[in-house]
Amino acid sequence: MRKGYVLERILYTVFIFFIVITLNFFIPRIGVEDPAERYYPPQGNLTDTEYSIIKQLTRKQYGFDVSGWQQYLRYLSQLSRGDLGTSLQAGSPKVSTLIAQRLPWTLVLSLSNMLISVTLGLLLGTSAAWNRGKFADRALMNASTVMTALPAFFLALVFSLYMGFEWGWFPAYTEPDMVASFDWSWRAIAQVARNAALPVISMSIGGVISYAQGTRNSVIAVSQEDFITTARAKGMSTRTVKYRHVLRNAMLPIVTSLGMSVSGLIGGSVVIEQIFNWNGMGTLFLTANNTNDYPLMMGIMLFLSSFALLANLVTDLLYSLLDPRVSAGGGRR
Amino acid sequence: MRTTRRKNNLLAMIWHHPQGQVGLILAGLLVFAAVAAPWITPFDPYDVTQRAEKGLAPGWPHLLGTSISTGQDIFSMLIYGARVSLLVGIVTGLAIAFLGAFMGILAGYGGRFWDTLIMRLVDVMLVIPTLPLTIVLTNLFGKSYGMIIFIFTIFGWVGLARVIRSQVLVLKSSNYIKAAQLAGASRRYIMFRHILPGVSNLLIMSTALTSAGIMVAEAGLSFLGLGDPTAISWGKMLAEAQSGGALLFGHWWWIIAPGIGIFLSVFAFMRIGLALEEVFNPRMKRSGMLLRLFKSINGSYIQEVFDAMDDRPETDEAGKEAAP
Amino acid sequence: MKRSPAKMLAVLLALAFLLSGCASRFERLEDVSSALYIAEVASSFPQTFMPWFSRDGVAPTISSMIYSTLLSYDDITDTYQPNLAAEWAYLDRQGQPLITADGRVDYARLEEEYSGKDTAFISVRFALNPQATWSDGKPVTVRDIVFTFDLATNQKRSNHAGALVWANDLMHKYDQNTGRLRRQGIYTYDTGANEAGYPVSEAEKDHVFYFEVSKVLGAITPLVSTILVLPEHIYGSLVSIEQPINNTDPSPELRHAYENPVGCGPYQLDRANTNSQEIVLTRRADYHLKAPDGGALYKVDVLKFVLFQEINVAIYALKKGHVDVLDASVSANYARLFEHEPGISLFSAPGIFAQTLVINLNPPPERMNAMREQLTNPLLRKAIALAIDQDTLIGYVLSGRGRKVPMGLVREGVLHNPQADLIQGPMEERLRQANEILDSLYPDKDDKGYRLSSGSRLSFQVLGSPGEQDMINYLQVLLQKIGVEVRYAPKGNSPENTYLYGGNFDMTLQGVSFTPANVDIMMNAHYCNLNRSSNYGRLKDEQLNARIASMRTTLNREYKYQLVQEIEELAAAHYYKLPLYCQDVLSAARTDRFTGWVVSPGVGAFNMDSLSRLTPSGQKGR
Repeated sequence: MRKGYVLERILYTVFIFFIVITLNFFIPRIGVEDPAERYYPPQGNLTDTEYSIIKQLTRKQYGFDVSGWQQYLRYLSQLSRGDLGTSLQAGSPKVSTLIAQRLPWTLVLSLSNMLISVTLGLLLGTSAAWNRGKFADRALMNASTVMTALPAFFLALVFSLYMGFEWGWFPAYTEPDMVASFDWSWRAIAQVARNAALPVISMSIGGVISYAQGTRNSVIAVSQEDFITTARAKGMSTRTVKYRHVLRNAMLPIVTSLGMSVSGLIGGSVVIEQIFNWNGMGTLFLTANNTNDYPLMMGIMLFLSSFALLANLVTDLLYSLLDPRVSAGGGRR
Repeated sequence: MRTTRRKNNLLAMIWHHPQGQVGLILAGLLVFAAVAAPWITPFDPYDVTQRAEKGLAPGWPHLLGTSISTGQDIFSMLIYGARVSLLVGIVTGLAIAFLGAFMGILAGYGGRFWDTLIMRLVDVMLVIPTLPLTIVLTNLFGKSYGMIIFIFTIFGWVGLARVIRSQVLVLKSSNYIKAAQLAGASRRYIMFRHILPGVSNLLIMSTALTSAGIMVAEAGLSFLGLGDPTAISWGKMLAEAQSGGALLFGHWWWIIAPGIGIFLSVFAFMRIGLALEEVFNPRMKRSGMLLRLFKSINGSYIQEVFDAMDDRPETDEAGKEAAP
Repeated sequence: MKRSPAKMLAVLLALAFLLSGCASRFERLEDVSSALYIAEVASSFPQTFMPWFSRDGVAPTISSMIYSTLLSYDDITDTYQPNLAAEWAYLDRQGQPLITADGRVDYARLEEEYSGKDTAFISVRFALNPQATWSDGKPVTVRDIVFTFDLATNQKRSNHAGALVWANDLMHKYDQNTGRLRRQGIYTYDTGANEAGYPVSEAEKDHVFYFEVSKVLGAITPLVSTILVLPEHIYGSLVSIEQPINNTDPSPELRHAYENPVGCGPYQLDRANTNSQEIVLTRRADYHLKAPDGGALYKVDVLKFVLFQEINVAIYALKKGHVDVLDASVSANYARLFEHEPGISLFSAPGIFAQTLVINLNPPPERMNAMREQLTNPLLRKAIALAIDQDTLIGYVLSGRGRKVPMGLVREGVLHNPQADLIQGPMEERLRQANEILDSLYPDKDDKGYRLSSGSRLSFQVLGSPGEQDMINYLQVLLQKIGVEVRYAPKGNSPENTYLYGGNFDMTLQGVSFTPANVDIMMNAHYCNLNRSSNYGRLKDEQLNARIASMRTTLNREYKYQLVQEIEELAAAHYYKLPLYCQDVLSAARTDRFTGWVVSPGVGAFNMDSLSRLTPSGQKGR
């Protein structure tokens, strides 16, 4: 019953969304007596009575003058207007503005990563599968075990050191004017490509190996299926068998795994962004952490969770489209 | 009885497996280094009076040179770093094994109520972005490895529980369980005396592979500065190298050394885990369930998908179909 | 089918590499104008430039260039230089200026006129520079002054921004509850100056105004040298009780005013070229202050501030030639990086902040424990002070780039009191003395050599940031010699609960700076104020408080400085803030495009003095 399944998934997602919002509201308040405490300015030369007035004004300014419940309701209504909060940075920019500024840059990295991982991974994986047992296949196996043991950020540092600092092939740190002077010209695009090279290479090596491994297994599994043997027996050329039948079926899990990794698109590159000083969501979050900018931190958390929820929902629905068994059984478990 | 005999031969079985042997030797060396650190290091990196000139290149007596920011001997720091990695990795691996087994068995065998509850919990946990949450929690409650272990355990049991649950579902329909039920054994009795031993292989394998995955994740968190600031760990060494100017000065040794440390420890435990997997179930494909577990710790869900197309009877998805 | 995707991919990748290779290089290297590129290390750049908003990061620097104050204070000579105000004078009680024959402030007569008399205030007369204009062309008038200072004292309309700008000593008071003016302290032609006895003729009605300030010498310093004057014609109609000036949710008009600042300073914001990564300031040709030869005071036409989030990235950019100067202090460890770099110079200036070890000598009852009980004993603190070897600390922590600080915490200048340096002499002697003191207090030691107090080891936590960890470890070694243990503990992210306002710590680190300009406020904050202030250890000494109160209120400058020196001695005897070192300020600047960099104490290569002396060095960029 497709419709029932879709409805169930959507309702379920909404339910979890509310839990996430509530958690998001309460986490910074755990164990803290006076949450406005960290916003009070120093007393300076003011008398005590004057200072208590200042404290009242501060509490009012940040919304701590009402009860916890009311604060929560206010938070909900604020969210319903799409207002994720106001950052404590100078000038009080809105959290949503900051996220909107940084998000595209993170996507540049993660989408490039995904693109390269999938394409190269597919190519390498299929070639390993066709040459099963031979050099290409064994090389892939070994690379796989080595790569999973090497953290991506370590690779990033090594690349930064050699390709960036020592040999100067790419900028070791993001050029400071990359974001500001971006104007969709070829020059600007080339600059972004040049700066994104090292981060993307560091991230995608692991991804390439992963997808290659998965493709290899998938292709091997499918080629052992009965219908392939039938096709061969019918006298189809190897090439037709390979491409028309095997690959097409082997793509299925790849596609769905792509969907699963969508939720990691935004939050997954924090460390890499920090290493290369890339102007994305990761560095925004780290900055917020360093400056104790709670509204910004919680706003980003909420955004990431919502995005993950949405991505999961869409993936689930797509998956159920592709594999009808799933909607009958009740989920990708 | 069956299981104890198997455990007695476990080490021997790993040893005889060629790759398992490599893993055991490496792991043994690392454990030795971690435990014997105060005695085998040439300098004490915690002792401020043993600092040398800052930013020395590798040579004698500083085999890997000294750090630019503090003048500590990098080789000694490398050995001390093993302590944190191994401790966090192994303890968390064990904790996840316990929690995951408990939740998985409860979900698989404890009845529909528990199953639904636990699976819903799993869904919520999967959505929350772990890294940002870790950052927020360490911000609020202080930075320590205890906090890191706690957070890893809270998020790490999810993958294992799902796998265990699937295995339990398979076991549920096996004959000897049905016989026990007919004989009138209580639910709890069956869970402990029959189900648990049935998944014990899985647990042992998972501890090894999970530990490996945790070590990588811990390195990442230490790199971001979320671990105990007074302890020496490989991730923190990498962070110090970066902020202390190793890149600017070109001191590659300060960067490569901790990286190799991380690599060796993860590699060792992965080898042990994979060897165990092949030992317990020689028919299984190389990159089976457990590599998926391992990757799910690392946050990449790719491998999880492949079981969907594995219609073989020994895997969990088929078992799910048979569930009532 | 397999071939074509591979081919396509290969072609795409090759194209990408080619493109990136022949792309144009970074902006600064192509820029042959006289724009100065300044690297700033901060987490973010402000997008609004309301000068009263923020005191961190780059905002104060930018604000001080866009806006002006009435006067500028010269720390070394303790005099006020004209800025927006071309002339000023204290007035005697008949309304005559208290100026000596050579045009300086007559402090002797000032004291004579007001000290001990029953007036509650001193009158001060100012005359604005008629050349001063806003960047939109309008002249600076007393209406701007009235607006600014009125707002600063009205907490409701300024949303406690007034607390941030130290307008306390202006005798212009609002009732903070009702928002009504209780007492007027700013007088102009249009607001009752003549009626109050302050003569202002019609011709000078736009430029002359009077302040009534409290009867202390330090009253006018923050008013004239730190409060940036705001344009009334921009903000006047926008600010109200509902929309205070310090507003986190401003109306669109107010936000527009924040983002497009109109100031009367030497530079103005180039809004079109300013964004989240770069702030561009262009020099105002009609700036009212000129060089002695009549030409422009500041030589650089365009300032481009470039944001970097990490110091290493900024240093890399400096080395590569992407920026001209680093407006951040460079760690001594990096000095070697610049040694062999042609075109980059390293500048060293003495610092003005003394790094001290603050001891919690008076914790509140609920924060007291057995160890902190020991810290309340001044003899223990004296022993600790004796054991601190500043020379080795400077050698180890700063690689020699620092200076020692006396116990009085003031190094040189009019306030320096050599007698406040209670601890001198060779280290062996000092250690012997310290051990002698402690032997009588804590004779028992444990097996590691640490002294025992009621059976437990004498051990204290020093709160510090991660960068200070190594230094605290070194303190540990120093204090081990007298049998006292100190350990590093992280400061954590909630200083409000620990050292900052709660008295919940054993020891911590604090930077202290006393100068003639800030001594009124700072000494009170560090030694007297028991609330949320710099007096972390909650020192409470009635005699000291009385001295500080006299120091703040006396009108005799000589006496004031004398009192400051006494205060140094009294405070030092508490062994409360023990000096560790005073770090030199290291800064780096490129000399291949501009030469003429100068540094002064506490300041790096990028400062207003440099800006008034920089000349292009005639070579094209790297």
